[in-house]
Amino acid sequence: MENLLVVDSIQKYYGSKENITKAINDISFSVNSGEFIGIMGASGSGKTTLLNCISTIDNVSSGHIYLENKDITKINDEDIAKFRRENLGFIFQDFNLLDTLTVEENIALILTINKVLQKDIDNKVFELALKLGIDDILNKYPYQISGGQRQRCAVARAIINNPKLILADEPTGALDSKSARQLLDILKEMNEKLKVTILMVTHDPFCASYCNKILFLKDGRIFNKIEKGDKTQKEFYNNILDVLSLLGGDFRDVR
Amino acid sequence: MLGKLSFRNAKRQALNYIIYFITVTISIGLIFSFNFLAFSKDVSELSNQMEYFKQVIVILSIIIAFSIAWLINYTMKFILEKRSKEFAIYQILGIEKKDISSMFVKENIIIGAIALMFGILLGMFLYQVLISIVMNIFKQPYQINIVFSYKALLLTILYFVLIYGIIILKNRKKIKKSKVYELLYSEKQNENHVMRKVKYNKIIFAFSVILLLVSIFVVKYTFSFGSNVSFNLVLIALISLIVGIYLFYISISGFILDFYINNKRRKYKNSNMFLYRNLASKVNTMSITMSTLAVMFVIIIIGLNISMLMNNMLNNEMEILYPFEIMISTTDGDFTKYKEYIKKNSDVVNMHEYKIYTIEQTPLIEALKDTSLRDRKYNKVDNVIKLSDYNKLREMIGYSSVELSNDEIIVNTISTASNYINKYIKENGNYITACNKKYKIKQVEDINLGQLGFNGFVYFFVVNDNEIEFIKENEISSDYLSNNLEYKLVVNTKEKTTQAFYDDLCSYIKTYHFPQVGIYDGIEKEYDVEISLGNVLSRGQRIGETKSFYTIISFSAIYVSLILIMISATLLAIQQLSESEKYKYRYKVLKDLGMDEMDMNKIIFKQIFIYFLLPILIPVLISVPIVLSIGNIFTLAVTYKEIIKNICFVFGIFFLVYSIYFVATDVQFEKNINEEI
Ligand SMILES: Nc1ncnc2c1ncn2[C@@H]1O[C@H](COP(=O)(O)OP(=O)(O)OP(=O)(O)O)[C@@H](O)[C@H]1O
Ligand SMILES: [Mg+2]
Repeated sequence: MENLLVVDSIQKYYGSKENITKAINDISFSVNSGEFIGIMGASGSGKTTLLNCISTIDNVSSGHIYLENKDITKINDEDIAKFRRENLGFIFQDFNLLDTLTVEENIALILTINKVLQKDIDNKVFELALKLGIDDILNKYPYQISGGQRQRCAVARAIINNPKLILADEPTGALDSKSARQLLDILKEMNEKLKVTILMVTHDPFCASYCNKILFLKDGRIFNKIEKGDKTQKEFYNNILDVLSLLGGDFRDVR
Repeated sequence: MLGKLSFRNAKRQALNYIIYFITVTISIGLIFSFNFLAFSKDVSELSNQMEYFKQVIVILSIIIAFSIAWLINYTMKFILEKRSKEFAIYQILGIEKKDISSMFVKENIIIGAIALMFGILLGMFLYQVLISIVMNIFKQPYQINIVFSYKALLLTILYFVLIYGIIILKNRKKIKKSKVYELLYSEKQNENHVMRKVKYNKIIFAFSVILLLVSIFVVKYTFSFGSNVSFNLVLIALISLIVGIYLFYISISGFILDFYINNKRRKYKNSNMFLYRNLASKVNTMSITMSTLAVMFVIIIIGLNISMLMNNMLNNEMEILYPFEIMISTTDGDFTKYKEYIKKNSDVVNMHEYKIYTIEQTPLIEALKDTSLRDRKYNKVDNVIKLSDYNKLREMIGYSSVELSNDEIIVNTISTASNYINKYIKENGNYITACNKKYKIKQVEDINLGQLGFNGFVYFFVVNDNEIEFIKENEISSDYLSNNLEYKLVVNTKEKTTQAFYDDLCSYIKTYHFPQVGIYDGIEKEYDVEISLGNVLSRGQRIGETKSFYTIISFSAIYVSLILIMISATLLAIQQLSESEKYKYRYKVLKDLGMDEMDMNKIIFKQIFIYFLLPILIPVLISVPIVLSIGNIFTLAVTYKEIIKNICFVFGIFFLVYSIYFVATDVQFEKNINEEI
């Protein structure tokens, strides 16, 4: 299996000379194509920062990130938009749908930018919506649908153009447990059936148990790394809890 | 899809910024209608002076275009800030920056085009209103007819495209330079302007108050000498006023903080803490904008008042200067030619011929010593009319006759001077010495009989016919006043005199030529001096001029001030409303802490009220004394009462427009805060 994503000793500093925050302090890891990776860690440990760096939203202070052997920290401004729409899919914690567009239009937006034929767009959107169970709300506006539906819409938008890598920052953060579970099932299924590579930041050990590999961050470093292997989800969940209690901080009492 | 997005964004933007949209539309409407009016043939044909109207309106339109540009630029900045997250999402989705910025441009072109269209429709309607007002002023019949001025339309579109184009290009550049990360997280950033510590706050504040007071006193001093106003002093007043206002608003935010935060008892009273924290931080960052608005308000208020004073003066002078339709003065009393012409060319209602006598100045001049009216008695003489002539003049304009015994005198003056004269009489007794003889002042009259230049200056005296021989003995010889126009003819005619009638009458004025030697361009030369031995005044001719200036002044004043008030109020509204997103979170916290909606609306009201109040506080306080001082040079023809009336009227208009914006902002703000996401 080839390495889809390689993160090579990146660092990210914030602030001025006198007052530096090392949000990421030397992180390296690699992700194989088709993996479902979870990133966990206490608040302020650098999860969002890491995701922002990989997604080209933010720049690293030093180090390199390679996606299919292409150094994305070196992409220039003109090519970045094209790179994003061809390679990446985003799912934010707070949905970030465009509220002037209908659900359908939100999902289709990126295809129209890629100049896909209108007929193909319609088919593709409908197919995906059917799979995500949002086919009946396609003509509604984001403010007319529920949080869970919105999040599924965001998922659809993220994967419609078959990105190589899906980046999700606490995608279940704003959902109730039932909707969260539904969403995770969808992500899992996409990962298994469509072989989509997913990088998901989460606080919640239960969510994390859907992944097949988890990185634990602490103070901007990788603190631990566990793999699901052939454990059941329940066993993996307990495994996660054990690591978290080692990690300390705000995870100590989750069990 | 992007096109669709642009269109919907435009729609939403217009709704969110409805106040701004309406203001821009109305402004365009006003620009169009006034330019339309200025270029209208109907208007320019009204009188020769109406030609100036075109120039004035075009120049003012340029000023207005700049102000609108300011507003649009300001609003655009806020819209960009507010939509930063949206633009970030576009970028994250992989939309090219050039597509994003062209989408933004398209949106704004759509909004602009709609505002332009509505504005022009509104302008066409406004034009009909305006022109019927103008026609009414000139007492000309006018029927509403659909006309169109391409010149005005092109000019309006030109102003608009220039403003809009430049601003859109500027913002397009801004989008192209933006970074996703900054856009995405700008919302969450704390208001990173840490309160600018104004170090010597109290000193600056005190200094600003001193400057403001200085400007008031300099104005008062400058305008107390009548009409010769020193330009330098006005400049000093203006500079200290502007600097004072800026310093005032820069230092005031520190005071709000000091006052409420550093005082625990006040701080925790109700929700003061929340309110004044918000306010102080806002006022601090907004102090420059607020000062600019305040300066503008001062200019609007004073400008409107001056324009009204000028109109009052024109109107009142008309009445004071032209009590009769035709007023002719000569040095020799030969009116035959004039009378012939008048009788031939008009229906005479009544007519009177008389002489006015010139005597040495009496002590009554003391009554005017501290007023600008004194300037009008520059020739240091007084004038006398005999009772029979006086009664005849009164009768001609519908007043009953009066009686007078031999040792009595009547003072006939203008209404603005009668107060001073009555006061003088009260203090110095009821007697006056004229030609070394003591007369009892029977009464002080303020009937307009041309006592501003035609029949004496500011006032004339009336004596019994029996006294006239004595007055004659004391008359100042005509040699002293080489062309003393002492013989008068006044006529009332049935029809209004025209310009042509006036020009014809003027042709009968006799002149006297004599050679005089003088140095001209360094060379001694003999040149011809011409002296008129007569003078003709005609009300009909003068009224055309007066009405033209009246129209030009009032229309320009209303045009500029209305738009400027609207723009300023919109600026404040936009400022508050764009913050409402940010405040939404703060107010939500308050709500979650258990504050009910009523209380919250109260705080919102208070916040917006103070916010709208601050920039008009200083202008209102400072413009009243300044207007009163400036009014001083108009006292010749404008009464104190009228000045006060003007001030009230100006404030009335100002507050009406201003409070419409205030209420609209409050309502929209509450709506924004209370609506769920
Ligand atoms: N723009 C910024 N400026 C300065 N410091 C920042 C900035 N963004 C993040 N940080 C700091 O970097 C560190 C990592 O932040 P990050 O947002 O990555 O944490 P996180 O793991 O996502 O936390 P959470 O679980 O609460 O979302 C924190 O200490 C944070 O204070
Ligand atoms: Mg985070």
